[in-house]
Amino acid sequence: MMVPMLGWLAMLAIGGGLVMGFGIAPREVTQGSVQRIMYVHVPFAWVAYLAFAVVFVASIAYLWRRSAAADRVAHASAEAGVVFTGLAIATGSIWGKPTWGTWWTWDARLTSVALLFVLYLGYLMLRGMIEDRERGARYAAVLGIIAALDIPLVHFSVFWWRTLHQPPSIRPGSAAMPGVILAALLVNVVAFTLLYAYFVAKRSRVLRLAEEMPA
Amino acid sequence: MTYARHAWIILWKDIATERRRKETLNALLFFSVLLLFVFEFTLGGDRDRLTAALPGLLWLGFILAGLLALGRSFLIERENDCWEGLLLGPGDKSAIYVGKLAGNLLVMAAVEVVVLALFGVFFNVDVWSALPGLVLVGVLGTIGLAAMGTTFAAMTAQVRARELLFPVLLLPLQVPLLLGCVKATEAVLNGEGLGSVLHWVQLLAAADLIYVVVGVLTFEFILEA
Amino acid sequence: MTADHWTFVIAAYGLAAVVLGGYWRRLVRQERAVRAGSARRQSRR
Repeated sequence: MMVPMLGWLAMLAIGGGLVMGFGIAPREVTQGSVQRIMYVHVPFAWVAYLAFAVVFVASIAYLWRRSAAADRVAHASAEAGVVFTGLAIATGSIWGKPTWGTWWTWDARLTSVALLFVLYLGYLMLRGMIEDRERGARYAAVLGIIAALDIPLVHFSVFWWRTLHQPPSIRPGSAAMPGVILAALLVNVVAFTLLYAYFVAKRSRVLRLAEEMPA
Repeated sequence: MTYARHAWIILWKDIATERRRKETLNALLFFSVLLLFVFEFTLGGDRDRLTAALPGLLWLGFILAGLLALGRSFLIERENDCWEGLLLGPGDKSAIYVGKLAGNLLVMAAVEVVVLALFGVFFNVDVWSALPGLVLVGVLGTIGLAAMGTTFAAMTAQVRARELLFPVLLLPLQVPLLLGCVKATEAVLNGEGLGSVLHWVQLLAAADLIYVVVGVLTFEFILEA
Repeated sequence: MTADHWTFVIAAYGLAAVVLGGYWRRLVRQERAVRAGSARRQSRR
Protein backbone atom coordinates (compact mmCIF):
# COMPACT_ATOMS: atom_id res chain seq x y z
CA MET A 1 0.00 0.00 0.00
CA MET A 2 0.90 3.66 -0.25
CA VAL A 3 1.82 4.24 3.35
CA PRO A 4 4.65 1.74 3.75
CA MET A 5 6.06 2.89 0.43
CA LEU A 6 6.09 6.42 1.77
CA GLY A 7 7.96 5.15 4.80
CA TRP A 8 10.59 3.41 2.71
CA LEU A 9 10.98 6.47 0.51
CA ALA A 10 11.52 8.59 3.59
CA MET A 11 14.14 6.18 4.95
CA LEU A 12 15.92 6.23 1.61
CA ALA A 13 15.91 10.00 1.48
CA ILE A 14 17.14 10.26 5.06
CA GLY A 15 19.97 7.90 4.19
CA GLY A 16 20.79 10.09 1.24
CA GLY A 17 20.68 13.12 3.48
CA LEU A 18 23.13 11.54 5.92
CA VAL A 19 25.50 10.70 3.11
CA MET A 20 25.32 14.24 1.82
CA GLY A 21 25.61 15.79 5.24
CA PHE A 22 28.59 13.76 6.39
CA GLY A 23 30.19 12.34 3.31
CA ILE A 24 29.82 14.79 0.51
CA ALA A 25 29.41 18.18 2.12
CA PRO A 26 32.70 19.69 3.22
CA ARG A 27 33.68 20.62 6.75
CA GLU A 28 32.69 24.21 7.30
CA VAL A 29 35.56 26.55 8.05
CA THR A 30 34.23 28.94 10.65
CA GLN A 31 32.08 26.62 12.74
CA GLY A 32 33.73 23.25 12.24
CA SER A 33 31.84 20.00 12.46
CA VAL A 34 29.12 21.50 14.60
CA GLN A 35 27.69 23.15 11.53
CA ARG A 36 26.55 19.72 10.36
CA ILE A 37 23.79 19.86 12.94
CA MET A 38 22.14 22.32 10.57
CA TYR A 39 21.37 19.41 8.26
CA VAL A 40 18.80 18.17 10.76
CA HIS A 41 17.94 21.36 12.63
CA VAL A 42 16.82 23.35 9.59
CA PRO A 43 14.62 20.53 8.19
CA PHE A 44 13.06 20.07 11.64
CA ALA A 45 12.23 23.77 11.87
CA TRP A 46 10.81 23.69 8.35
CA VAL A 47 8.59 20.70 9.15
CA ALA A 48 7.51 22.39 12.38
CA TYR A 49 5.99 25.24 10.39
CA LEU A 50 4.73 23.01 7.58
CA ALA A 51 2.88 20.86 10.09
CA PHE A 52 1.11 23.89 11.50
CA ALA A 53 0.18 25.09 8.03
CA VAL A 54 -1.40 21.68 7.48
CA VAL A 55 -3.23 21.95 10.81
CA PHE A 56 -4.53 25.34 9.66
CA VAL A 57 -5.78 24.12 6.29
CA ALA A 58 -7.23 20.91 7.71
CA SER A 59 -9.00 22.88 10.46
CA ILE A 60 -10.64 25.17 7.93
CA ALA A 61 -11.56 22.15 5.83
CA TYR A 62 -13.18 20.52 8.83
CA LEU A 63 -15.30 23.52 9.81
CA TRP A 64 -16.29 24.08 6.21
CA ARG A 65 -17.01 20.53 5.09
CA ARG A 66 -17.20 18.60 8.37
CA SER A 67 -14.86 16.07 6.83
CA ALA A 68 -13.76 13.53 9.42
CA ALA A 69 -10.65 12.90 7.34
CA ALA A 70 -9.68 16.57 7.65
CA ASP A 71 -10.05 16.34 11.41
CA ARG A 72 -7.83 13.26 11.55
CA VAL A 73 -5.17 14.94 9.41
CA ALA A 74 -5.23 18.00 11.67
CA HIS A 75 -4.81 15.83 14.75
CA ALA A 76 -2.04 13.73 13.19
CA SER A 77 -0.22 16.78 11.88
CA ALA A 78 -0.31 18.43 15.29
CA GLU A 79 1.22 15.35 16.86
CA ALA A 80 3.96 15.07 14.28
CA GLY A 81 4.39 18.82 14.51
CA VAL A 82 5.04 18.81 18.22
CA VAL A 83 7.64 16.05 17.78
CA PHE A 84 9.51 17.93 15.09
CA THR A 85 9.22 21.27 16.88
CA GLY A 86 10.66 19.77 20.04
CA LEU A 87 13.52 18.31 18.04
CA ALA A 88 14.07 21.62 16.27
CA ILE A 89 14.44 23.33 19.64
CA ALA A 90 16.66 20.59 21.05
CA THR A 91 18.99 20.41 18.05
CA GLY A 92 19.08 24.18 17.90
CA SER A 93 20.08 24.28 21.54
CA ILE A 94 22.74 21.59 21.07
CA TRP A 95 24.11 23.56 18.15
CA GLY A 96 24.01 26.77 20.13
CA LYS A 97 26.01 25.59 23.11
CA PRO A 98 29.40 25.22 21.40
CA THR A 99 28.62 28.03 18.98
CA TRP A 100 27.40 30.76 21.35
CA GLY A 101 28.45 29.25 24.64
CA THR A 102 24.92 28.96 26.00
CA TRP A 103 22.13 26.38 25.82
CA TRP A 104 19.47 28.96 25.29
CA THR A 105 19.09 32.57 24.26
CA TRP A 106 15.84 34.46 23.98
CA ASP A 107 16.56 35.58 20.48
CA ALA A 108 13.91 35.96 17.81
CA ARG A 109 14.05 32.59 16.07
CA LEU A 110 14.43 30.39 19.13
CA THR A 111 11.69 32.24 20.97
CA SER A 112 9.33 31.95 18.00
CA VAL A 113 9.91 28.23 17.71
CA ALA A 114 9.46 27.81 21.45
CA LEU A 115 6.10 29.57 21.19
CA LEU A 116 5.18 27.32 18.27
CA PHE A 117 5.88 24.37 20.55
CA VAL A 118 3.65 25.81 23.23
CA LEU A 119 0.86 26.39 20.72
CA TYR A 120 1.06 22.75 19.63
CA LEU A 121 0.95 21.59 23.22
CA GLY A 122 -2.13 23.70 23.91
CA TYR A 123 -3.82 22.23 20.86
CA LEU A 124 -3.07 18.67 21.90
CA MET A 125 -4.07 19.44 25.46
CA LEU A 126 -7.45 20.72 24.29
CA ARG A 127 -7.99 17.61 22.18
CA GLY A 128 -7.08 15.42 25.09
CA MET A 129 -9.53 17.10 27.42
CA ILE A 130 -12.74 16.90 25.43
CA GLU A 131 -14.41 13.51 25.44
CA ASP A 132 -17.08 14.17 22.85
CA ARG A 133 -15.49 13.46 19.49
CA GLU A 134 -17.49 15.92 17.43
CA ARG A 135 -17.10 18.78 19.86
CA GLY A 136 -13.41 18.02 20.25
CA ALA A 137 -12.93 18.17 16.51
CA ARG A 138 -14.85 21.44 16.26
CA TYR A 139 -13.02 23.18 19.12
CA ALA A 140 -9.64 21.91 17.96
CA ALA A 141 -10.38 23.26 14.49
CA VAL A 142 -11.19 26.71 15.89
CA LEU A 143 -8.02 26.66 17.98
CA GLY A 144 -5.99 25.43 15.03
CA ILE A 145 -7.14 28.38 12.96
CA ILE A 146 -6.57 30.93 15.71
CA ALA A 147 -3.13 29.58 16.59
CA ALA A 148 -2.02 29.49 12.97
CA LEU A 149 -3.10 33.10 12.46
CA ASP A 150 -1.14 34.00 15.55
CA ILE A 151 2.13 32.65 14.20
CA PRO A 152 2.93 35.58 11.87
CA LEU A 153 2.03 37.99 14.67
CA VAL A 154 4.42 36.17 16.99
CA HIS A 155 7.10 36.34 14.34
CA PHE A 156 6.94 40.05 13.80
CA SER A 157 6.65 40.89 17.46
CA VAL A 158 9.46 38.64 18.60
CA PHE A 159 11.69 39.69 15.73
CA TRP A 160 11.25 43.35 16.50
CA TRP A 161 11.87 42.63 20.12
CA ARG A 162 15.16 40.78 19.69
CA THR A 163 17.50 40.00 16.87
CA LEU A 164 20.57 37.96 17.60
CA HIS A 165 20.04 34.89 15.47
CA GLN A 166 21.81 34.36 12.23
CA PRO A 167 20.06 35.57 9.13
CA PRO A 168 17.93 32.85 7.53
CA SER A 169 20.06 30.14 5.95
CA ILE A 170 18.21 30.06 2.67
CA ARG A 171 17.84 33.42 1.06
CA PRO A 172 16.78 33.57 -2.57
CA GLY A 173 19.53 34.85 -4.78
CA SER A 174 22.13 35.07 -2.05
CA ALA A 175 25.48 33.42 -2.58
CA ALA A 176 25.99 33.02 1.17
CA MET A 177 26.11 29.25 1.03
CA PRO A 178 28.25 27.14 -1.27
CA GLY A 179 26.22 24.92 -3.60
CA VAL A 180 27.16 21.60 -2.03
CA ILE A 181 26.02 22.65 1.42
CA LEU A 182 22.80 24.02 0.00
CA ALA A 183 22.23 20.77 -1.89
CA ALA A 184 22.83 18.69 1.23
CA LEU A 185 20.41 20.89 3.14
CA LEU A 186 17.70 20.53 0.52
CA VAL A 187 18.05 16.76 0.38
CA ASN A 188 17.58 16.63 4.14
CA VAL A 189 14.62 18.99 4.00
CA VAL A 190 12.91 16.75 1.45
CA ALA A 191 13.81 13.65 3.45
CA PHE A 192 12.29 14.84 6.68
CA THR A 193 9.26 16.24 4.91
CA LEU A 194 8.67 12.74 3.58
CA LEU A 195 9.09 11.36 7.07
CA TYR A 196 6.57 13.87 8.38
CA ALA A 197 4.10 12.89 5.64
CA TYR A 198 4.60 9.23 6.57
CA PHE A 199 3.92 9.97 10.23
CA VAL A 200 0.77 11.90 9.38
CA ALA A 201 -0.49 9.16 7.06
CA LYS A 202 0.13 6.44 9.62
CA ARG A 203 -1.38 8.40 12.52
CA SER A 204 -4.47 9.33 10.49
CA ARG A 205 -4.96 5.72 9.60
CA VAL A 206 -4.77 4.65 13.23
CA LEU A 207 -7.35 7.34 14.07
CA ARG A 208 -9.64 6.12 11.31
CA LEU A 209 -9.36 2.49 12.37
CA ALA A 210 -10.06 3.48 15.95
CA GLU A 211 -13.18 5.37 14.89
CA GLU A 212 -14.46 2.52 12.75
CA MET A 213 -14.26 0.15 15.67
CA PRO A 214 -17.76 -0.45 16.99
CA ALA A 215 -17.94 1.09 20.47
CA MET B 1 -34.35 40.60 17.07
CA THR B 2 -31.55 42.53 15.50
CA TYR B 3 -27.95 41.59 15.99
CA ALA B 4 -27.15 44.74 17.95
CA ARG B 5 -30.13 44.27 20.21
CA HIS B 6 -29.19 40.68 20.92
CA ALA B 7 -25.65 41.73 21.87
CA TRP B 8 -26.99 44.56 24.00
CA ILE B 9 -29.31 42.24 25.91
CA ILE B 10 -26.38 39.93 26.73
CA LEU B 11 -24.33 42.90 27.90
CA TRP B 12 -27.14 44.40 29.94
CA LYS B 13 -27.94 41.08 31.60
CA ASP B 14 -24.33 40.71 32.72
CA ILE B 15 -24.14 44.30 33.98
CA ALA B 16 -27.37 43.89 35.91
CA THR B 17 -26.21 40.61 37.43
CA GLU B 18 -22.89 42.09 38.45
CA ARG B 19 -24.53 45.16 39.90
CA ARG B 20 -26.66 43.00 42.12
CA ARG B 21 -24.01 40.53 43.25
CA LYS B 22 -20.97 42.81 43.10
CA GLU B 23 -18.67 39.87 43.52
CA THR B 24 -16.51 39.89 40.41
CA LEU B 25 -15.45 43.50 40.35
CA ASN B 26 -14.81 43.79 44.05
CA ALA B 27 -12.71 40.65 44.13
CA LEU B 28 -10.72 41.78 41.10
CA LEU B 29 -10.02 45.19 42.60
CA PHE B 30 -8.90 43.57 45.82
CA PHE B 31 -6.71 41.22 43.79
CA SER B 32 -5.11 44.21 42.06
CA VAL B 33 -4.21 45.76 45.38
CA LEU B 34 -2.67 42.49 46.49
CA LEU B 35 -0.63 42.38 43.28
CA LEU B 36 0.91 45.66 44.31
CA PHE B 37 2.16 44.03 47.48
CA VAL B 38 3.51 41.07 45.54
CA PHE B 39 5.41 43.30 43.13
CA GLU B 40 6.84 45.35 45.98
CA PHE B 41 7.93 42.32 47.95
CA THR B 42 9.48 40.50 45.02
CA LEU B 43 11.17 43.41 43.30
CA GLY B 44 11.03 46.37 45.64
CA GLY B 45 14.40 45.84 47.24
CA ASP B 46 16.14 47.64 44.43
CA ARG B 47 14.23 50.83 43.63
CA ASP B 48 15.81 51.27 40.22
CA ARG B 49 15.14 47.71 39.22
CA LEU B 50 11.49 48.10 40.13
CA THR B 51 11.16 51.37 38.26
CA ALA B 52 12.74 49.84 35.17
CA ALA B 53 10.37 46.89 35.36
CA LEU B 54 7.23 48.98 35.82
CA PRO B 55 5.84 48.82 32.28
CA GLY B 56 6.20 45.05 32.37
CA LEU B 57 4.70 44.82 35.84
CA LEU B 58 1.76 46.92 34.79
CA TRP B 59 0.90 44.54 31.99
CA LEU B 60 1.67 41.55 34.15
CA GLY B 61 -0.95 42.87 36.52
CA PHE B 62 -3.44 43.41 33.71
CA ILE B 63 -2.88 39.91 32.36
CA LEU B 64 -3.20 38.22 35.74
CA ALA B 65 -6.39 40.10 36.48
CA GLY B 66 -7.54 39.34 32.96
CA LEU B 67 -7.01 35.61 33.40
CA LEU B 68 -9.24 35.70 36.43
CA ALA B 69 -11.88 38.00 35.00
CA LEU B 70 -12.09 36.57 31.49
CA GLY B 71 -12.10 32.96 32.61
CA ARG B 72 -15.40 33.68 34.30
CA SER B 73 -17.09 35.07 31.19
CA PHE B 74 -19.57 32.24 30.95
CA LEU B 75 -19.64 31.23 34.58
CA ILE B 76 -23.20 32.40 35.09
CA GLU B 77 -24.54 30.46 32.16
CA ARG B 78 -22.64 27.37 33.15
CA GLU B 79 -23.54 27.40 36.83
CA ASN B 80 -27.20 28.11 36.33
CA ASP B 81 -27.77 25.55 33.61
CA CYS B 82 -28.32 28.26 31.05
CA TRP B 83 -25.77 26.85 28.65
CA GLU B 84 -28.43 25.12 26.55
CA GLY B 85 -30.24 28.44 26.45
CA LEU B 86 -27.25 29.96 24.73
CA LEU B 87 -26.99 27.08 22.29
CA LEU B 88 -30.65 27.08 21.35
CA GLY B 89 -31.18 30.82 21.11
CA PRO B 90 -32.23 32.28 17.78
CA GLY B 91 -30.20 34.40 15.45
CA ASP B 92 -26.52 34.82 14.93
CA LYS B 93 -24.63 33.32 17.88
CA SER B 94 -21.77 35.73 17.41
CA ALA B 95 -24.00 38.46 18.88
CA ILE B 96 -23.49 36.67 22.18
CA TYR B 97 -19.76 36.95 21.66
CA VAL B 98 -20.01 40.68 21.02
CA GLY B 99 -22.14 41.21 24.10
CA LYS B 100 -19.81 39.17 26.29
CA LEU B 101 -16.77 40.92 24.83
CA ALA B 102 -18.26 44.32 25.59
CA GLY B 103 -18.94 43.26 29.16
CA ASN B 104 -15.42 41.95 29.56
CA LEU B 105 -13.98 45.17 28.18
CA LEU B 106 -15.91 47.17 30.77
CA VAL B 107 -14.68 44.97 33.60
CA MET B 108 -11.09 45.09 32.38
CA ALA B 109 -11.27 48.86 31.92
CA ALA B 110 -12.44 49.32 35.49
CA VAL B 111 -9.70 47.10 36.87
CA GLU B 112 -6.99 48.69 34.75
CA VAL B 113 -7.93 52.22 35.73
CA VAL B 114 -7.63 51.23 39.37
CA VAL B 115 -4.32 49.41 38.86
CA LEU B 116 -2.93 52.38 37.00
CA ALA B 117 -3.98 54.74 39.77
CA LEU B 118 -2.44 52.44 42.38
CA PHE B 119 0.81 52.31 40.43
CA GLY B 120 0.80 56.06 40.25
CA VAL B 121 0.40 56.41 43.98
CA PHE B 122 2.42 53.54 45.39
CA PHE B 123 5.23 53.30 42.86
CA ASN B 124 5.47 56.98 42.16
CA VAL B 125 4.73 56.71 38.48
CA ASP B 126 3.79 59.88 36.66
CA VAL B 127 0.62 58.50 35.16
CA TRP B 128 -1.11 61.80 34.62
CA SER B 129 1.24 63.36 32.07
CA ALA B 130 1.44 60.15 30.06
CA LEU B 131 -2.28 59.51 30.28
CA PRO B 132 -3.38 59.81 26.62
CA GLY B 133 -0.67 57.41 25.48
CA LEU B 134 -1.37 55.03 28.33
CA VAL B 135 -5.06 55.02 27.56
CA LEU B 136 -4.47 54.26 23.89
CA VAL B 137 -2.07 51.41 24.64
CA GLY B 138 -4.39 50.15 27.33
CA VAL B 139 -7.34 50.08 24.99
CA LEU B 140 -5.40 48.33 22.23
CA GLY B 141 -3.92 45.75 24.53
CA THR B 142 -7.15 45.05 26.36
CA ILE B 143 -9.21 44.54 23.21
CA GLY B 144 -6.85 41.79 22.09
CA LEU B 145 -6.78 40.20 25.53
CA ALA B 146 -10.54 40.26 25.93
CA ALA B 147 -11.25 39.13 22.37
CA MET B 148 -9.37 35.87 22.70
CA GLY B 149 -10.23 35.58 26.36
CA THR B 150 -13.93 35.52 25.56
CA THR B 151 -13.43 32.93 22.83
CA PHE B 152 -11.42 30.59 25.01
CA ALA B 153 -13.72 31.11 27.98
CA ALA B 154 -16.56 29.77 25.86
CA MET B 155 -14.43 26.91 24.60
CA THR B 156 -13.24 25.82 28.00
CA ALA B 157 -16.57 26.38 29.75
CA GLN B 158 -17.57 22.75 29.48
CA VAL B 159 -14.13 21.24 29.84
CA ARG B 160 -12.99 19.34 32.92
CA ALA B 161 -9.83 21.25 33.82
CA ARG B 162 -10.97 24.64 32.56
CA GLU B 163 -8.99 26.70 35.08
CA LEU B 164 -5.81 25.09 33.76
CA LEU B 165 -6.65 24.94 30.09
CA PHE B 166 -7.85 28.53 29.83
CA PRO B 167 -4.53 30.23 30.66
CA VAL B 168 -2.61 27.61 28.70
CA LEU B 169 -4.57 28.49 25.58
CA LEU B 170 -4.72 32.24 26.12
CA LEU B 171 -1.18 33.13 27.17
CA PRO B 172 0.74 32.07 24.04
CA LEU B 173 -1.62 34.13 21.95
CA GLN B 174 -0.98 37.12 24.18
CA VAL B 175 2.74 37.19 23.47
CA PRO B 176 2.63 39.59 20.51
CA LEU B 177 0.23 41.83 22.39
CA LEU B 178 2.31 41.69 25.54
CA LEU B 179 5.51 42.59 23.72
CA GLY B 180 3.84 45.47 21.95
CA CYS B 181 2.05 46.82 25.00
CA VAL B 182 5.11 46.73 27.22
CA LYS B 183 7.30 48.40 24.63
CA ALA B 184 4.71 51.06 23.93
CA THR B 185 4.01 51.66 27.63
CA GLU B 186 7.74 51.97 28.22
CA ALA B 187 8.00 54.60 25.50
CA VAL B 188 5.04 56.52 26.86
CA LEU B 189 6.25 56.48 30.47
CA ASN B 190 9.75 57.53 29.42
CA GLY B 191 8.33 60.54 27.68
CA GLU B 192 9.28 59.39 24.21
CA GLY B 193 5.71 59.29 23.01
CA LEU B 194 3.96 56.81 20.78
CA GLY B 195 5.58 58.13 17.62
CA SER B 196 8.77 56.30 18.49
CA VAL B 197 6.95 52.98 18.73
CA LEU B 198 4.53 53.38 15.86
CA HIS B 199 5.30 49.93 14.46
CA TRP B 200 4.27 48.39 17.79
CA VAL B 201 1.03 50.37 17.83
CA GLN B 202 0.29 49.18 14.32
CA LEU B 203 1.00 45.59 15.36
CA LEU B 204 -1.39 45.93 18.28
CA ALA B 205 -4.10 47.35 16.05
CA ALA B 206 -3.59 44.58 13.49
CA ALA B 207 -3.67 41.91 16.18
CA ASP B 208 -6.84 43.37 17.66
CA LEU B 209 -8.52 43.36 14.28
CA ILE B 210 -7.55 39.76 13.61
CA TYR B 211 -8.56 38.55 17.06
CA VAL B 212 -11.95 40.26 17.08
CA VAL B 213 -12.84 39.21 13.55
CA VAL B 214 -11.77 35.63 14.18
CA GLY B 215 -13.59 35.66 17.49
CA VAL B 216 -16.81 36.78 15.84
CA LEU B 217 -16.52 34.36 12.93
CA THR B 218 -15.67 31.27 14.97
CA PHE B 219 -18.12 31.74 17.82
CA GLU B 220 -20.97 29.91 16.11
CA PHE B 221 -18.75 26.83 15.87
CA ILE B 222 -18.14 26.91 19.59
CA LEU B 223 -21.79 27.24 20.49
CA GLU B 224 -23.17 24.66 18.13
CA ALA B 225 -26.01 22.68 19.58
CA MET C 1 40.91 25.98 12.92
CA THR C 2 37.98 25.99 15.31
CA ALA C 3 37.47 23.24 17.87
CA ASP C 4 35.65 20.20 16.62
CA HIS C 5 32.79 19.47 19.05
CA TRP C 6 32.00 16.08 17.52
CA THR C 7 30.18 15.06 20.67
CA PHE C 8 27.57 17.73 20.07
CA VAL C 9 26.98 16.56 16.53
CA ILE C 10 26.52 12.99 17.72
CA ALA C 11 24.24 14.18 20.51
CA ALA C 12 22.02 16.08 18.08
CA TYR C 13 21.75 13.30 15.52
CA GLY C 14 21.42 10.67 18.23
CA LEU C 15 18.60 12.55 19.92
CA ALA C 16 16.82 12.96 16.60
CA ALA C 17 17.17 9.25 15.86
CA VAL C 18 15.91 8.25 19.30
CA VAL C 19 12.91 10.58 19.28
CA LEU C 20 11.84 9.95 15.69
CA GLY C 21 12.41 6.23 16.05
CA GLY C 22 10.51 6.23 19.30
CA TYR C 23 7.54 8.03 17.77
CA TRP C 24 7.55 5.64 14.85
CA ARG C 25 7.55 2.64 17.20
CA ARG C 26 4.61 4.22 19.04
CA LEU C 27 2.67 4.56 15.78
CA VAL C 28 3.38 0.96 14.85
CA ARG C 29 2.29 -0.23 18.28
CA GLN C 30 -0.91 1.84 18.10
CA GLU C 31 -1.81 0.46 14.70
CA ARG C 32 -1.19 -3.09 15.84
CA ALA C 33 -3.35 -2.56 18.92
CA VAL C 34 -6.22 -1.05 16.96
CA ARG C 35 -6.12 -3.79 14.33
CA ALA C 36 -5.99 -6.47 17.02
CA GLY C 37 -8.91 -4.85 18.82
CA SER C 38 -11.11 -4.75 15.75
CA ALA C 39 -10.13 -8.27 14.69
CA ARG C 40 -11.17 -9.54 18.10
CA ARG C 41 -14.51 -7.82 17.75
CA GLN C 42 -15.02 -9.22 14.25
CA SER C 43 -14.36 -12.74 15.38
CA ARG C 44 -16.73 -12.39 18.29
CA ARG C 45 -19.67 -11.76 15.98
